[in-house]
Amino acid sequence: MDDLTMLSEFRVEVPEPDAARLASTRARLVAGTGHAGHAGRTVGAGGRRKPFWNRPVLLAGAFGVVAALVLAFVRFGPTGDATRPPVAERYASTAVVLEQAALVAETRSTGSAPRPNQWQYSKVLDRQPNGDPGDRDHRESWIRYDGKQTAGYDEAGQVTVSDHPPDPGDDDLSPMRYAEKLRKLPTDPAKLLAHVRGDRHWVDYPVEEKSPKGEQVARAETPDERAFRVLSLYLQQQAVMPPKLEAAMYRALAQIPGVRVQLDVEDGAGRRGMGLFREYSDAMRTYFILDEKTYRYLGMRMVWFRDQYMGSELVTRAGSVWTVTQLASAIVDKPGQRP
Amino acid sequence: MITDAHSAETSDQTDDAELIRRSWDDPALFAALFDRHAPHLHRYVTRRLGDALSDDIVADTFLAAFRRRKGYDVTRRDARPWLYGIAANLIGKHRRTEVRCYRALARVGVDAVAETYAERVEARVSAAAAHRALAGALAKLSTGDREVLLLIAWADLSYEEVADALGIAVGTVRSRLHRARKQTRTALGGVDPTAFKEELGRG
Repeated sequence: MDDLTMLSEFRVEVPEPDAARLASTRARLVAGTGHAGHAGRTVGAGGRRKPFWNRPVLLAGAFGVVAALVLAFVRFGPTGDATRPPVAERYASTAVVLEQAALVAETRSTGSAPRPNQWQYSKVLDRQPNGDPGDRDHRESWIRYDGKQTAGYDEAGQVTVSDHPPDPGDDDLSPMRYAEKLRKLPTDPAKLLAHVRGDRHWVDYPVEEKSPKGEQVARAETPDERAFRVLSLYLQQQAVMPPKLEAAMYRALAQIPGVRVQLDVEDGAGRRGMGLFREYSDAMRTYFILDEKTYRYLGMRMVWFRDQYMGSELVTRAGSVWTVTQLASAIVDKPGQRP
Repeated sequence: MITDAHSAETSDQTDDAELIRRSWDDPALFAALFDRHAPHLHRYVTRRLGDALSDDIVADTFLAAFRRRKGYDVTRRDARPWLYGIAANLIGKHRRTEVRCYRALARVGVDAVAETYAERVEARVSAAAAHRALAGALAKLSTGDREVLLLIAWADLSYEEVADALGIAVGTVRSRLHRARKQTRTALGGVDPTAFKEELGRG
């Protein structure tokens, strides 16, 4: 099958709209041509599905993506205090917790490096903020250590291996490349912080996007924001994380202004841990949740304190929660295999 | 869908150019152009951006076309290149959305665009491996190359019509298409994509 044939089959199921579907659009044209029997704009009447970005399938590794969605297009409603948790939030000393995390991380043992043809398995629970109540999505995936193949379940429930490698241009790296990248980072906390304040990891982050006319679409990320975001992304690569570097990451985080630790933050699976977050907005908060004893990454939790609008449309209500929870992550020998 | 009063004047025999010319004096005739071309244009826009944006883009395309109807070159009997050219500009304003969806599909196998039109979509079904590779390739094409490729593949325009639609030379269409297809083929691995699939049992 050649490429054009394949392309012609891609999204081929898109239906051609019937007259009923086009009626309101046609009415706009008729109104616009000045010969209306119909009045005004009737678009949006009846049965239109929610625009898909209202229900963004927010991706794991979310610190980049969501913040992007949030900063680029969005405004928030007025402050509402009703949605703050009824129970008082409890905070711990950032310096103490992160130093403790560093000390624990330093004692982790390093296993031998996986072989290139081994696989990194991960199981993630994703509960979207705008999904139906109880809506949850368990996703199991495998990526070959060298990134040459990925695997997951297809519609028929079969494990399917594909040759689509991660795209390094998007900093979507294979575990092996991540390991290489992490090995090159400084393990001195001050040097590491200086590095990540300018790290362009996930450079397609739309905050950096310029509109065709060249003006900045949204304000640029500050070095502190960037440092926190990049460290959060790196810390999720636990499978390939050198212990000394992990320790340095916690110590570097402790030096970023606005970083705080909230206790008893729940992940999507109901486990409670320490929620690391950086205060950047009174409208929402994103926690990076660590196990209280092992300081292993459990998942992320994003909460909305105020209604969030895109244009005039309410996209996420105050009180909404989005969680992406890491249920398992391990090296296995074959795709389809679980630890 | 055309009104009875005009049906005789806007029968299938009337070509687009004639219809547009007559709409100079009788604007209501422009609706016949809509009835003729809105369905396939709507499908094309939906295929690129999803169902949520297509109503607005189709409406804006025809309103813009209506305003510019007196500048239409009536030697061009088929208005499709003109309409797709106008739509291309409007689609281009949503470039980031479009690319983000291709990229998400390539990365996690979820097609946010497909989710908008499917009746009942198992939201996060894993897409065929080849489609993920294809989406990855589409995300990486330059805007101009992607425009040409998709006008050829999805709008069924000829090289000449694409040139007409985008206001570029036919040679440019050829070179952009060549480049786009080369990149797409590379992404697909240059072999039968069904060979990518390898069925394995659970566990």
